[in-house]
Amino acid sequence: MATFLDDLRARDDDALAALLRARPDLASPSPVTLASLAVRATGRTSTDRALAELDATTLQVLEAVVVLDGAGTPPIRARLHDALGADDDVARAAVDAAVGAALERALVLEGPGGEDAGGGAPGVDRVLRAAPGLADALGPYPAGLAPATVPDPPGTAPGDDDPAGAVAALLGQAPTGAAALLDALVWGPPVGVAPAPRTPAAAAVAALLRAGLLAPGTGSHVVLPRGVALALRGGRTHAAPALPPAPGAPAPGLTDAGVATESAAGAERAVRLVEALLRLWERTPPRVLRGGGLGVRDLRRTAAALDVAEDEVAVLVEVAGAAGLVADDGEELPAFLPTASSDTWAAGDLPQRWSALVRAWVGTVRAPWLVGTRDEHGSPRAALDPTVQRTWAPRLRREVLVALAALPPAVVAPPEGVLAALRHRAPRSVPPEPAVRAVLAEAALLGVLGAGALGAPGRALLAEVVRTGPVTSGDEDPVAAALAAALPEPVDVLLLQADLTGVVPGRPADELADLLEAVSVVESRGGALTVRFTAGSVREGLDAGRTADDVLAALARHVPGGRVPQPLEYLVRDVARQHGRLRAGTADGYLRSDDPAVLAGLVEDPRLASLGLFRLAPTVLGARATAGELLAALRAAGRAPVAEGPDGQVVHAGPATRRARGRGPRASVPPPPAPPARVEALVARLRAADEHERALEAAGATAGTGPQAGVPTGDGGPDRPGDAVARVVERAAGAVRGTSPRAGRDGKGDVSGGASGAAGAGGTADPASALLVLRQAAADRTAVRVELVGPDGRLQERVLRPLRVDAGRLRAVDPARAAELTIAVHRIAGVRPVDPPDAP
Amino acid sequence: MPDGPLIVQSDKTLLLEVDHEQAAACRRAIAPFAELERAPEHVHTYRLTPLGLWNARAAGHDAEQVVDTLLEYSRYPVPHALLVDVAETMSRYGRLQLVAHPVHGLVLHALDPAVLAEVLRSKRTSGLLGERIDATDVVVHPSQRGHLKQVLVKLGWPAEDLAGYVDGEAHAISLAQDGWTMRPYQEQAVDSFFHGGSGVVVLPCGAGKTIVGAGAMARSSTTTLILVTNTVSARQWRDELIRRTSLTEDEIGEYSGARKEIRPVTIATYQVLTLKRKGMYPHLELLDARDWGLVVYDEVHLLPAPVFRMTADLQARRRLGLTATLVREDGREDEVFSLIGPKRFDAPWKDIEAQGYVAPAECVEVRLTLPDTARMTYATAEPEERYRLAATAPGKNRVVESLVARHRGEPTLVIGQYLDQLHELAEHLGADLITGETPVRERQRLFDAFRTGEISTLVVSKVANFSIDLPEAAVAIQVSGSFGSRQEEAQRLGRIMRPKADGRTAHFYTVVARDTVDQDFAAHRQRFLAEQGYAYTIVDAEDLEQGSTGQRV
Repeated sequence: MATFLDDLRARDDDALAALLRARPDLASPSPVTLASLAVRATGRTSTDRALAELDATTLQVLEAVVVLDGAGTPPIRARLHDALGADDDVARAAVDAAVGAALERALVLEGPGGEDAGGGAPGVDRVLRAAPGLADALGPYPAGLAPATVPDPPGTAPGDDDPAGAVAALLGQAPTGAAALLDALVWGPPVGVAPAPRTPAAAAVAALLRAGLLAPGTGSHVVLPRGVALALRGGRTHAAPALPPAPGAPAPGLTDAGVATESAAGAERAVRLVEALLRLWERTPPRVLRGGGLGVRDLRRTAAALDVAEDEVAVLVEVAGAAGLVADDGEELPAFLPTASSDTWAAGDLPQRWSALVRAWVGTVRAPWLVGTRDEHGSPRAALDPTVQRTWAPRLRREVLVALAALPPAVVAPPEGVLAALRHRAPRSVPPEPAVRAVLAEAALLGVLGAGALGAPGRALLAEVVRTGPVTSGDEDPVAAALAAALPEPVDVLLLQADLTGVVPGRPADELADLLEAVSVVESRGGALTVRFTAGSVREGLDAGRTADDVLAALARHVPGGRVPQPLEYLVRDVARQHGRLRAGTADGYLRSDDPAVLAGLVEDPRLASLGLFRLAPTVLGARATAGELLAALRAAGRAPVAEGPDGQVVHAGPATRRARGRGPRASVPPPPAPPARVEALVARLRAADEHERALEAAGATAGTGPQAGVPTGDGGPDRPGDAVARVVERAAGAVRGTSPRAGRDGKGDVSGGASGAAGAGGTADPASALLVLRQAAADRTAVRVELVGPDGRLQERVLRPLRVDAGRLRAVDPARAAELTIAVHRIAGVRPVDPPDAP
Repeated sequence: MPDGPLIVQSDKTLLLEVDHEQAAACRRAIAPFAELERAPEHVHTYRLTPLGLWNARAAGHDAEQVVDTLLEYSRYPVPHALLVDVAETMSRYGRLQLVAHPVHGLVLHALDPAVLAEVLRSKRTSGLLGERIDATDVVVHPSQRGHLKQVLVKLGWPAEDLAGYVDGEAHAISLAQDGWTMRPYQEQAVDSFFHGGSGVVVLPCGAGKTIVGAGAMARSSTTTLILVTNTVSARQWRDELIRRTSLTEDEIGEYSGARKEIRPVTIATYQVLTLKRKGMYPHLELLDARDWGLVVYDEVHLLPAPVFRMTADLQARRRLGLTATLVREDGREDEVFSLIGPKRFDAPWKDIEAQGYVAPAECVEVRLTLPDTARMTYATAEPEERYRLAATAPGKNRVVESLVARHRGEPTLVIGQYLDQLHELAEHLGADLITGETPVRERQRLFDAFRTGEISTLVVSKVANFSIDLPEAAVAIQVSGSFGSRQEEAQRLGRIMRPKADGRTAHFYTVVARDTVDQDFAAHRQRFLAEQGYAYTIVDAEDLEQGSTGQRV
């Protein structure tokens, strides 16, 4: 008999590739040899994974093969048809397809042909055997039959001549009622509890046990042996083949076009709601909870503002999050804000925006249906909370879409139907029902479904999801294109009416939609858009910078006949008349006087420019200075101002004086003097370090800079860098020693710098002393050799002439490139003097 | 249909494009099940409501018809959920029926036992229903017939009332069509009502609702109780009935605060019925005083709440409701539906106007800029004082004067709310004044004089709001009103909508003070009138006085 490995070896390349594609876990990590592939493929983990992906029909086939093969009668396909009860062409085709799938996945192997009749299709007469490990993976009771280890009574094994006859003969001797007992166990599970003793049933069970038709199980259980069960089933393993559930009838009145339109309407609504969400959060960003989620009050507020239900708003928020449109801003008091990429998104057209949303939706692990449910600690889960996710969510969404796509167009699948389809598609990994319902609701909300059926845009999305090939970098987004095709033609006509309403009899064109968005409120949506103009809505338009003429002209452009109804025109003009009648500004103080000439003089007075006086009215000046500052400055300028209170009464007050808020007297505790011994120890350590440094330095100087080093010559220009560095080091050392009064005052930083640094050879790698060297070089306008950490982490060395060192940055000139550059100080690894020019 | 005149919105409003060639056909097709919400010049808005759909069911339309109509005329695909909802809603009507059982009397019969079970489980029906006969029938206490219907509408399972009516005491009444005939739509209204048994006829003001009432009485030929809003209206009804029918003065009684006559035809006011003394309604016995064969409710949209309760006990008698609008500001449309009956006839104003039965009207709002002193007074006034200040702004007198002058010779009504203002105006214009204090006799004299053209200008307070007939008023000038009530507007507009002998356009002016609450209320009014399809213009008082916009007005 061929082994599994032989079977693999016998496969051609295509078949092997198909195996690896169908069971991707076999391919990663890549197996080294076919033998290792075989080991992995027959392992329990991989087999379990493969089974999880299989549909109900294929699982039945596997069970049948395991049972029949286990009984020593490996079946050919025709026998499988009988075993599964596939008695029509549809069922037989389904079974054959399932056999194909099982063979492809190497869960079932084809044995050698019996007597090859030669006439039929390839493989028809070849026996099918279970792959090693399959029986274990299918569990102890495949097809509801007892394990093969339970002994069959004589003559009843499937391989025997007439097992049914043998069972019948045995049953004939059993007491009445025994047959009924067996019937209860025939279609599984094969294990029953033995009845209480001294009952008629107990007697029947005893008789059956004696006859071998039942076998004793563990404890008080009895088991129906496999052979007996098969014989009672008439040789079948299953009552009927599991076929995919039949799709429902098309909904009355629903057409493919209707589905597309509703899908488009849903898409438009979803995009509009997400836009509204972004605008809302931009103005009033909700706080991020400590756990990272969105508070339930903020969720409710958002739902109310968007006028949608809370579960819907949870989906919108999560999708916006998944699409990267909103995010935690990471501030100290974090809030959710629209992201920078949301601006890019908002700039796209409707199909593009929708495509971005649904692509994010279909691929996200976020699980919005969990929002509001309670976690294991009993606290409610928040939207955008990091824990609200399920790794299987993308797969579930894909599977739901696949199940919907399998239906004929315009057929609405209720959640139960989708669940049944999923159950058939993968009985060993059925998603939880609430999740399936939630995914359907999400799809409906986003317009992936129209009227409950998968429309063309939704199918395009699915095609993108299941596409196995590489992403073509085409310019056209097929999802967006499908939606664009489903959207009704935009309409550029606005019908305005005397009751201050307007109707766009269709989907408004972008420009018209923007205009109406700016100056009106929407009353109803659907096939058409109806809006109402109110004083408030017109005012908002004016607030946004439009003028009455702009608004009227823009409206007239879209109106057939070009005339805006008189009441609307009157409304716009009336609002414009009042618009801006009140004006607000900022001032810290004011001056008023009955004499405009005095005030005019003050505004013009250059000595008072610092007060920021500006004219509000002939008798009133605003100021950028407070009342107190005004009084002081004016008095200084020789004027005689008085202060006034909010009621206009003169307030006689002395000059405003400020006081710190005292906390009463406190005992002042002077820092305790350091014990003298410690100071001495410290000095000794510093001295020792310094000696060490100087020794190194001296060695370096002797070797490097020659006898002239340290002797000031001329102005110390860049041609003598050695001098400069030498002086730097000297000063640094001086600071440590406290010989320079300045360094002594500056104290600590210099001390530690000098102490721990290794300013050997006139250079230093210590940050503090490096700064010192750089500052000195800047002061001396000399060049130094600077070691920089490059962006790749490698050191590079450049000769630079420092200009200034401050705020953590070095500004320097690169003499070689004649360029000025700024370097963050933390990237400077070391500073060394420029090598002295070769001795002349 | 890709180019249909109808657009179905997802919020269940229907937009009908008026200028579309199929608009008329579409309007006829949707009128039975959709309520016209507003009818401005280009696009009319209808709304699908459960009551509207049930009205359609009561009129014999089924869901399939409604769905087909929507699909036929809709320009875009109709939201599927809406179609499903329409079918679902309509299927709820009539699953329960009130029938007369030969043995058990009044019985609630269910075509669907599950519905009956649901209704019986509800707490609201306890006490209304008697013994259960079988799976589909329950005895109903005859006295609870109305209450039960109310409750069933609230539960969403409106019952079809097939239990019939008592015949009532016969009394011969016929129409005296001498020199006049019923208009076609009036006859249709009477037919539809009588065919349906009980229900509401919706006709615009000035379209002759009284005639429809008289026609229904003639058809019924039984003793009749007519409920009207006030005494003036009661006398109007009496005069009209004497003129239009074979009834004589002796056969018609008035049951009001002043008189308590009970005759074969009795006209009672809502007021007297709802009068409450010591927790009792002493005049309720009127309802049982005779074996009425027909009860007519005038102005159903104003029916006060206690009358609903009384009407609930009158379910065995034919009931006719007359109104210009089914919209009630208190939202009790469902009680009208369950207690008086479904809508039986409806004709939009514009249609009747187009047929020449009501005069076209033009509405003008005149905005008066207050002088600075008045603005300052207004700005610093207490909020509750503001409306009165704005409404009675002194500048209004001048505006009214110039409007009256412009329409000199045309019968003109000046309508206001504040008596001081009206006295002042009357003096200013040299016109007669009618207020609530004016004795009825004096009122009648002035109305007659106005009718004959003896006087051309009348200043009236809000007594003129309801049901008084001033046939030839061609101009109405409103200087102040109660706070923007739609009904008031409709009624005031109704004053001038009777067709004029020479086919003139009627004018309806409203004078408001700019930048005050007056103007805010005017906004409601404008919306209402423009929604009714009237041309609406806003002019500044200054322009009006200079006459620069005179041509446009």
